[in-house]
Amino acid sequence: MVVIRTNRACPEAGGKVLTRPAGARTGRRTLATVACRWAPLAVAFLGAVLTSCSAGSAVTDTVATAAQDSSSAIATAKLAVGLDSGGKLTRAATSTTLDDALKEVQASRDTVLRLSPTSPEDRQVREEALKVLDSSAASLTTARNAVSSDDGGPSLSDGARALAAAEDALSQLTSKVGKK
Amino acid sequence: VKRLLGVALGILTAIGGFVDIGDLVTNAVVGSRFGLSLVWVVLVGVIGICVFANMSGRVAAASGRATFEVIRERLGPRAGLANLSASFLINLMTVTAEIGGIALALQLASSVNYLLWIPLAAVAVWLVIWRVKFSIMENVTGLLGLTLIVFAVALFLLKPDWGNLASQAIPAVPAAETGATYWYFAIALFGAAMTPYEVFFFSSGAVEEGWKIKDLIQSRINVLVGFPLGGLLSVAIAACAAVVLLPAGIAVTSLSQVILPVAAGAGKLGLAVVLLGLVAATFGAALETTLSSGYTLAQFFGWSWGKFRKPAEAARFHLAMIICLLVGIAVLATGVDPVLVTEYSVVFSAVALPLTYLPILIVANDPQYMGKHVNGRGVNVVAMVYLVVILVASLAAIPLMIVTGAGA
Repeated sequence: MVVIRTNRACPEAGGKVLTRPAGARTGRRTLATVACRWAPLAVAFLGAVLTSCSAGSAVTDTVATAAQDSSSAIATAKLAVGLDSGGKLTRAATSTTLDDALKEVQASRDTVLRLSPTSPEDRQVREEALKVLDSSAASLTTARNAVSSDDGGPSLSDGARALAAAEDALSQLTSKVGKK
Repeated sequence: VKRLLGVALGILTAIGGFVDIGDLVTNAVVGSRFGLSLVWVVLVGVIGICVFANMSGRVAAASGRATFEVIRERLGPRAGLANLSASFLINLMTVTAEIGGIALALQLASSVNYLLWIPLAAVAVWLVIWRVKFSIMENVTGLLGLTLIVFAVALFLLKPDWGNLASQAIPAVPAAETGATYWYFAIALFGAAMTPYEVFFFSSGAVEEGWKIKDLIQSRINVLVGFPLGGLLSVAIAACAAVVLLPAGIAVTSLSQVILPVAAGAGKLGLAVVLLGLVAATFGAALETTLSSGYTLAQFFGWSWGKFRKPAEAARFHLAMIICLLVGIAVLATGVDPVLVTEYSVVFSAVALPLTYLPILIVANDPQYMGKHVNGRGVNVVAMVYLVVILVASLAAIPLMIVTGAGA
């Protein structure tokens, strides 16, 4: 076992205590004063730039992202239902995948719901997006019921059809608002 | 023959133990969004972890002490504290992510909500750490983790267009993504491959198993063969996602999506094997990260540590690990998505990398600890190049996270 004792303060200095030159401290204070004076202006400028960059596109951007994320969730659900129909996925794995997809769509819906559109066009886009996202969530519920019910509820092909319809609606929404 | 078997077992456990929840999620996310265009990062990460894991194993074998213990002594408490803070917080995040990973994998197998599995998973981790011998713990989880090779098997069964897949490996930003997102995920992949807990676990494990200088060759073989093969496993995960999920327009956001390509290629049998592999890999990594949290704290504060001691002789070490597990449970109980925790943990790993790897390099060059086993010139050149890469990744990680909205 090797035990080494070093000067903890500054081993390279060989035990000497290093002190900072007086001017360095003064210089830092001057820099700090300048920074304090200009910081609010810089923050205000940055805020103005960011606001001008994002103004007017927040609703369509958010809807585009929500549509993209939901499309991915619906595609996942379609794949899972297809694999389940082909006997390649267990019921537990399929229902977990559908639950995760539903969470994703609900999260997207929540972001759209939180939007505050200021123009009639934006309001229309939001309403349309909410309708599509609601129908997507409903299609996932149908698919989930199809996977978990043995009592004459919807079949897997019903679930697949509902998912295909949701996929079409999302694709139309995406092409309307444009890809992010 | 016994020695040969030991080497083989070491390699197999190194492969099986290479992949954790960070590798699983990040490689699948990257494969589903970027195809194989970021596969070069896995190569860079694997070379890096080989260099530094080998170095920390050598420090442990030459000095008979764990790397963190030596860092604290060699660089003093301040530098040690910086190292501890960064590594410990990342460890804690990774413990949380791994426990969440076990719970998610069990949910996939049972459809019982993952939140119900979290306490059970944490108790199981604690019981194994408390009761099971270090070598058994390491070998069993490592060997079971090998079942993740099913990703490679599924890839062959999916019969992809190999030419197209190979052409994806050329570094390029896909049309649907931005340069900032590409580099953000490059850093995430790099962080996942070079997670700090791996070196602390590796060097502390060397002390647990009583490595001597003569064991260095075996440790070198384990690292230089096992880790690259583990890296190939990571590439197989990304390739499966690139073949099945990318063309379907699926961007991975949950663990349930990661297993779909295996089910598509290898059916229910493949699914059963991949679920076993997921549980083993995350469970093994949960053990390693929990132990690493205990190791780093105990080695910094000078507490008695190690599984080679009875728990009563290393009470604070064991208490620290119990507290870490409780913190992990508490965080996950808030309902935070474990996959999100994983994604953040690999990026913050990248941020903390310089604080982990620079001290190791300094210690590995100190002849007072290492004697004639100090780093050679070649190793130092490679390590210095990596330090530059690590520093750039560390500085760029947070700005890129902000600019890309965490890769959204």
